[in-house]
Amino acid sequence: MSRNDDIKDNEFRVIGKGPDTGTDSGKGRKPWRGWIVVAAVVMLLAGAGALYLYQRQSTIATEPEVVFEPLPEKDDEVKGITETPVPLGNQKDSTSYTEHLEIDINDITLDIYIPHHGIPSLSVGAPDINDGSVILATQAADIRADNGKIVGAFVLKGKPLSWGLSKKGFCGIIDGEITVGVADNSPLFEKATETGGYFFRQFPLVDNGQLVENEYKGKSIRKALCDRRGEIFVAMSRTPESFHDFAQALVDLGVSNAIYLVGSQSYGIYRDSADSLTVIYDKYGHRYKYENYILWRKDS
Amino acid sequence: MFLCIFASDNRIAVKFIVISKGTELVRVPLDRLMYITSDGNYSNVVSLDGRSRLVSLQLGQIEDLIADQVGDSFGSFLRLGRGLIINLDYVHIIDVAKQRIVLSDCAGSWHELTASREVLIKLKSYLESLTKMTDEQK
Repeated sequence: MSRNDDIKDNEFRVIGKGPDTGTDSGKGRKPWRGWIVVAAVVMLLAGAGALYLYQRQSTIATEPEVVFEPLPEKDDEVKGITETPVPLGNQKDSTSYTEHLEIDINDITLDIYIPHHGIPSLSVGAPDINDGSVILATQAADIRADNGKIVGAFVLKGKPLSWGLSKKGFCGIIDGEITVGVADNSPLFEKATETGGYFFRQFPLVDNGQLVENEYKGKSIRKALCDRRGEIFVAMSRTPESFHDFAQALVDLGVSNAIYLVGSQSYGIYRDSADSLTVIYDKYGHRYKYENYILWRKDS
Repeated sequence: MFLCIFASDNRIAVKFIVISKGTELVRVPLDRLMYITSDGNYSNVVSLDGRSRLVSLQLGQIEDLIADQVGDSFGSFLRLGRGLIINLDYVHIIDVAKQRIVLSDCAGSWHELTASREVLIKLKSYLESLTKMTDEQK
């Protein structure tokens, strides 16, 4: 753990000792600040604990337990789960293209890319931008920086290229149908090998409408493959977000299952309804032999 | 992992940042290092020529390395928020309204980055105070 993670997004500091400008920033690191924060937290916790005990004793002695925030009623929860949400994307067009939406949820701006009438598959190697049949492509499974190999199980057109369960999220593509889920063992791996299908693993984000916590900290531009009651799309945060906040935004959007895709400013492209090609990001791409993509091609 | 700063010979004091971890080593002359961005548990080291290199260290760890090695003798690198370290020498434009900072050597290298409004206001104030200080020293 770095000792220099105690900085907020609205702060800056000089590394080493800069000139003393009279501002609060040119004075280098302040190691004693950490101890002051620790002491303050300890005092606050002690105070809060004492207050809690005092209030609890008072409550037990005089009043029934009070719930300050109303809990959702059971009926509401059931209704939320069973009701099919209105699809995000256009349901009328019959042509193959990718619809791009911008949705703000929990103060997080999400770019949503919905492939319409596309046939999903995986590829190894970046898609050719001159290939007009590709309507959406974005990096799928992670690549190990040390040896350039794919992380976790990966099946390409029935051929296993990688094995292993380092991540519990999975995506299987069998006969053109995408399944996104979370499981230690998925029969879709075997099925993909038997049917000429596709399969890869990634971090799980949402499992049956429930947020899945990931141990990885820090913020980055996050990207996910989402299933929202059968509507498959790619969601991407416009700003760096934590895994937790990003996954919570997907849950609040009504996503039922989601797994992570290679995030940050990883390479991706899409074609809109005018057949115009847009490169989502062109920064990180074409770097590794086994760089892999989930892509959708026009169905005709 | 380590970082070292040294002179390549006795005449030209070229300083380098050397980040070594696992099987990989990245070495960039300090005056060619434009900025470093956080990418989760990784960091992207971007040099003057626009090339970036992903290293498996968190940004805070890289800040530690720089701070440990340059100590009190160097103040050209700034940590901006949780996601960015920049080389102060290349700050070209600060646009608070657009939350944009441009790093450039004004000779072909041009990098647009985003940062919070608050941190850009502070950075702008810091640079103004540096300028005033320089003027007063004249």
